Amino acid sequence: MSDGTHDAAAVLRFGPVEILAAERRLRVDGRDVPLGGRAFDLLLALATHRQRLVSKDELIDLVWPGLVVEDNNLQVQVSALRKALGAQAITTVAGRGYRFTLGSGAAPVASLPQGAQGAPAAAPMSASGGQAHAGAPSSLARAGTATSPARVLVADDNKVNRLLLCRSLELMGHAVTSVDNGRAALQALRGGDFELLLLDLEMPELDGFAVLEHRAEDAALRELPVIVTSSVEGVAQVARCIELGADDFLHKPVNPLLLKARVNASLESGRWRAMQRRRLAVLDPRDGDRGEAAPARLGPATRLAARLHDVEGLARAIGPEEALEAMGAWATLAREALAEQGGIDLMCHGDSVSASFAGSDGAEAALRAARDLHAMLVLLHAEREAAGLPALRCALGLASGDQLAGPGTVAGGASAVAAGALLLRAEQLAALSLQRDAGLLLDAATAQRLQGQPGLAPAVSATGQGADTLAGDDARSSLFIVRL
Amino acid sequence: MSEDDPILDPHVFDELQAMAGADFVVELLDTLAEEAPGLLAEMAAAQAAGAAERFRRAAHSLKTNAGTFGAVRLAAQARALEQGGVPGDDAPLHALGETFRQALAALRALARR
Repeated sequence: MSDGTHDAAAVLRFGPVEILAAERRLRVDGRDVPLGGRAFDLLLALATHRQRLVSKDELIDLVWPGLVVEDNNLQVQVSALRKALGAQAITTVAGRGYRFTLGSGAAPVASLPQGAQGAPAAAPMSASGGQAHAGAPSSLARAGTATSPARVLVADDNKVNRLLLCRSLELMGHAVTSVDNGRAALQALRGGDFELLLLDLEMPELDGFAVLEHRAEDAALRELPVIVTSSVEGVAQVARCIELGADDFLHKPVNPLLLKARVNASLESGRWRAMQRRRLAVLDPRDGDRGEAAPARLGPATRLAARLHDVEGLARAIGPEEALEAMGAWATLAREALAEQGGIDLMCHGDSVSASFAGSDGAEAALRAARDLHAMLVLLHAEREAAGLPALRCALGLASGDQLAGPGTVAGGASAVAAGALLLRAEQLAALSLQRDAGLLLDAATAQRLQGQPGLAPAVSATGQGADTLAGDDARSSLFIVRL
Repeated sequence: MSEDDPILDPHVFDELQAMAGADFVVELLDTLAEEAPGLLAEMAAAQAAGAAERFRRAAHSLKTNAGTFGAVRLAAQARALEQGGVPGDDAPLHALGETFRQALAALRALARR
């Protein structure tokens, strides 16, 4: 995105931090740091407005234009940036907004990529003919908003069209593969990891309509964005493409700016759909797209429970509306942290969030999720403190054992359920951890799976004598802690 | 009548160069020079065989290629043949071939500017 105060092709440098705007990459000390799309948009917005304080409303308008978005979402992205850049990168000004403070005191060095001033810029070997093409910089590369690079498949039997589309897409920064018939297109899609298909209609072997029909019947391909490019005339053909599931239609010869806009829109839409599918899978694990619930299973798992302390007291202190907003921000971070490490059978009950991590390495994944959540909460706490808001206390419990999970069987109830002693145990550990201010409490079964982890130690009981256990447990069921 | 159409719309060609780069467009022209005779031959063969769909597809491809470069008259003639079906005599295809040769010469001249 561009706010008119910087060149979309610029590289912004703040000491060891490089923000490559056109490529949508963040590099710290020469290494790429992965950032989500929205987090990168926020970074760019803050960095290009670094001379001043930017209000929350303005940042929401810049990062989520045209959408109604809660402050929670902004807080999550701010936390993600602080995690990537350090807490000092962004300063919160209580009640007013945020300021980009990375490298403050030293002016950033903004530079344009080689070639942008008219000198030839070398292009790599490419799908558009295999040769580097030196020449004046492309208007396509300069114009408009960049989206992060994607793998794109071009299917067109006409060589001139194929070469030109590949060239256009490569100039946008995408990795392009091309085929010259519909059958090859389906083979390529099933074998590769493409994010977008540009599809001609009139092709040998299998035409574009047939490719769309096959795609609609294939759960693995159905959500792939498709832009049909054709010079067929008549609304009926266009309508038929849309009915068969094409996302967009571009008449040939394709206007390059229109191509770029439609490609960006289709990629963004496809990525959002993919993210929603991942989130939905965490909440409601169904088998692919066939509407079948994941089969019932009994197997080893580690359950992580996170609990927010004393929401009633929080509501009395700051009011129910503010307390709910705070709880929402906390729960959003918790769900992200758990889902990011593969947590499934996720349950959220306002002030508690829990998820299971299946398999023999589930305990390690659960511990990573706990550490991620802790790191994000530290940043959230700093932000709240800066805003004069009360801290949010949270505690975590990890329990391991066998878990029964599968499709829900109660009419009107949850579509997927998880059960087993470890669920209650994890909640009990989280509650006990809150009482003892112990951070992350683990049961013995989890500690055994995490043997050798740094910071793992027996939990000392409240009386200071002997190892801690849950009420009713015997000494063989000692509890452990991990310092986060 | 397509004879009233200009051979080229230079603005389309200029935009193509601006987008894709002058050197790339030269190579693309070479590809057109290789592909178009094959399409014309395919149309002739389809006409001789009375194969209407083969004829239409080849005319469609030639129309698309012409439009890419701004070869207005060539695109119009190819479109007419795409929609009109297999002609009864050779005159339309001869005219199409001549228009292609003129368009290619004009495009190469533009590319050398």
